[in-house]
Amino acid sequence: MITMDNSTQTDSHEFYAKHKKVYPREVHGLFATLRNTGVFVLLGLYYFIPWFRWEGHQAVLFDLPARKFYIFGLTFWPQDFIYLAALLIIAALALFFFTALAGRLWCGYACPQTVWTEIFLWMERWFEGDRNKQIKLDKAPWVGNKIWRKTAKHSLWLSFSLWTGFTFVGYFTPILDLGQSFLKFDLGPWETFWVLFYGLATYGNAGWLREQVCIYMCPYARFQSAMFDKDTLIISYDDKRGDPRGSRKRNADSATLGLGDCVDCTLCVQVCPTGIDIRDGLQYQCIGCAACVDVCNEVMDKMGYPRGLVKYTTQHAIEGVKTHLLRPRMVVYAILLVVISTALGYKMATRTPLRLDIIRDRNALYRETNEGLIENTYNLKIINMDKQDHQFLLSASGIDNLKLVIDKTRIDVPAGTTTSLPARVQVDPANLSKVGYDIHFDLQAVDNAKLHVIEKGRFIGPLFK
Amino acid sequence: MTEPSKPIPKIQEIISVLWPSFLTAGLATILFFVAFDPHLIMVVSGYGDISRLGGYTIGFFLFWILTSTSCALTCYFRTPTDDIDKK
Repeated sequence: MITMDNSTQTDSHEFYAKHKKVYPREVHGLFATLRNTGVFVLLGLYYFIPWFRWEGHQAVLFDLPARKFYIFGLTFWPQDFIYLAALLIIAALALFFFTALAGRLWCGYACPQTVWTEIFLWMERWFEGDRNKQIKLDKAPWVGNKIWRKTAKHSLWLSFSLWTGFTFVGYFTPILDLGQSFLKFDLGPWETFWVLFYGLATYGNAGWLREQVCIYMCPYARFQSAMFDKDTLIISYDDKRGDPRGSRKRNADSATLGLGDCVDCTLCVQVCPTGIDIRDGLQYQCIGCAACVDVCNEVMDKMGYPRGLVKYTTQHAIEGVKTHLLRPRMVVYAILLVVISTALGYKMATRTPLRLDIIRDRNALYRETNEGLIENTYNLKIINMDKQDHQFLLSASGIDNLKLVIDKTRIDVPAGTTTSLPARVQVDPANLSKVGYDIHFDLQAVDNAKLHVIEKGRFIGPLFK
Repeated sequence: MTEPSKPIPKIQEIISVLWPSFLTAGLATILFFVAFDPHLIMVVSGYGDISRLGGYTIGFFLFWILTSTSCALTCYFRTPTDDIDKK
C-alpha cells in the first residue's frame, strides 16, 4: 500500500497515487446528531418530494418532455429562466454568507456528497462492523465470511443507488408513470439510461470516491478559503493547551507529568472522513464536519478534563483577540442577499402568467395595399401560462390612425398553451414622417383585468425624401 | 516562478479533464435548451422520432464531448515545451 507520507516520491502514473483508504470511525455527540438530522431531513425531502401531489399534479416536477416546471402552485416556462438564474445567484450568495460566518457548514452538514456518504457509511457498518472490523476484514483472505459481507454491502449500496437514480429521474418525468413502467419492465431507453447514470454516480461517489470528491473534484473546496477571514468559525486544535502530547492514566494531572491535555489517543484522526490530523493545523482537506470535536470531547469527559481541546473557534479567538460577527464582507453579502431575494419575491408576486412574442414578417419590410395604405405583417405568439383558459382582446397603438387587422376579435387561448396569430398593421402614409416607428401591442384578458401585457414591435414604412 | 511542484496523481489528472467539462456541459445544456426546443431541432434535422428527453441526453453528451476535448487539449498543451525533445 502507498503511504500518505508527503515525502514519498509520487509516481504520476500511479492511478491511486497517495490514496489510502480512509475508514472513518463512528462518532456520537452534538455535531454528529446535527449531521444525522441533516441526513434525515435533506435525503428525506429528496426521496419524498417527487411523490407529493398538489392540485392534481406532481407537486415538484421539472417536466423536461413538456418543457414546463411545476413547483407547487406555480408553473414555469422556459421564458421564466430569469427566476432560475436569480435563485442560483441567491443560493451562491447564501453559500458565501454562511461560509464567511461559520466556515464549511455546507461541506460538513448539507452537501449531497456528505449526506450520501454518511448513509453509505451506515450501510457499510451494518455488514462490516466498525472501523477496526472493517480494516481486519479488508486484510482477511477472500473466503466465505468476507465474500458474504462484501456482496451484501455492495448489493445494498447498488439497490439504494438505483432507487436514488429512479428518484432523480422522477423529478423530470412524472414519477407515478415512471414507477408503473418500471414495474412492467417497460422503462423508456432514455429514462433507463439516466436512472443508471445517476445511480452509478451515487454508488461511485458515496461508496468509492468519498473524500476524494472533496479533495480533487469540488470547486468550492478550492475557493472557500477566499471567503474566510480571522473571524470565521473554524475547527481547531488548541496546541497551547494540548502539547506536549502523551498517554497517561485517567484523571492524571497534566501539569505534574509535564504534558499537555492531549492524550494522543489518535481518535480525532480515526474519525476524520478525509483522513487528516486536525492537530497539524487548518487544512483545506478539512470539511468542517466536527467529528473530531465530538470524539475529543468524549475523551476529555472520560479523562476528567474540560471539553474543547478540539473545538469550533476563530483565528482571532486563538490569538486572544475579540471575534467580530459584524464585518464589512458580512454586511455586503447580507445586503446583496436581501436585495436580490426581495427583487425575486416582488417579481414572482407580480408575475403575469401571460406572454406575447412579436415576430415581424421577414419576407417584406412593408407592403402597399390596394387602398394605398402601408402594411406590415407580424406573427404574434400568445402564451397563456395560467392554469385557466382565457379569451383575449388585442389592440395596437403608436402611430396616428393605425389599423390592426386580425382574423378574430376575441382570441381563445386554452390554459398552458401557445397560440399563433397572424396580424397586419395598416397606416395611412400621410401619418408617417420617418422610416421606423415603435408600436405597442396591447393584450388584455376579457375575464381578468390583471392579465394584461404590452409588447413593443417595430413598424417600417417607405423611405421619404 | 517557484520550484515546480510534484506531478499530480493520474486520477486527479483524469478528474481535472472529465469533471470540469461535465459541469460546464451541464450548464451549456441548460442554457442551450432554455432557448431551443430539442424536439424542433430534431424534427428539422430529420430525427423526428427521437423524444425530447432523448434530445436533451444527446445534447448533453455532445456538449460533454466538446468541453472535455477542450479540457484535454488544455492539459496537453500545458506540457512544458522543454520536455518534448527529451522524449
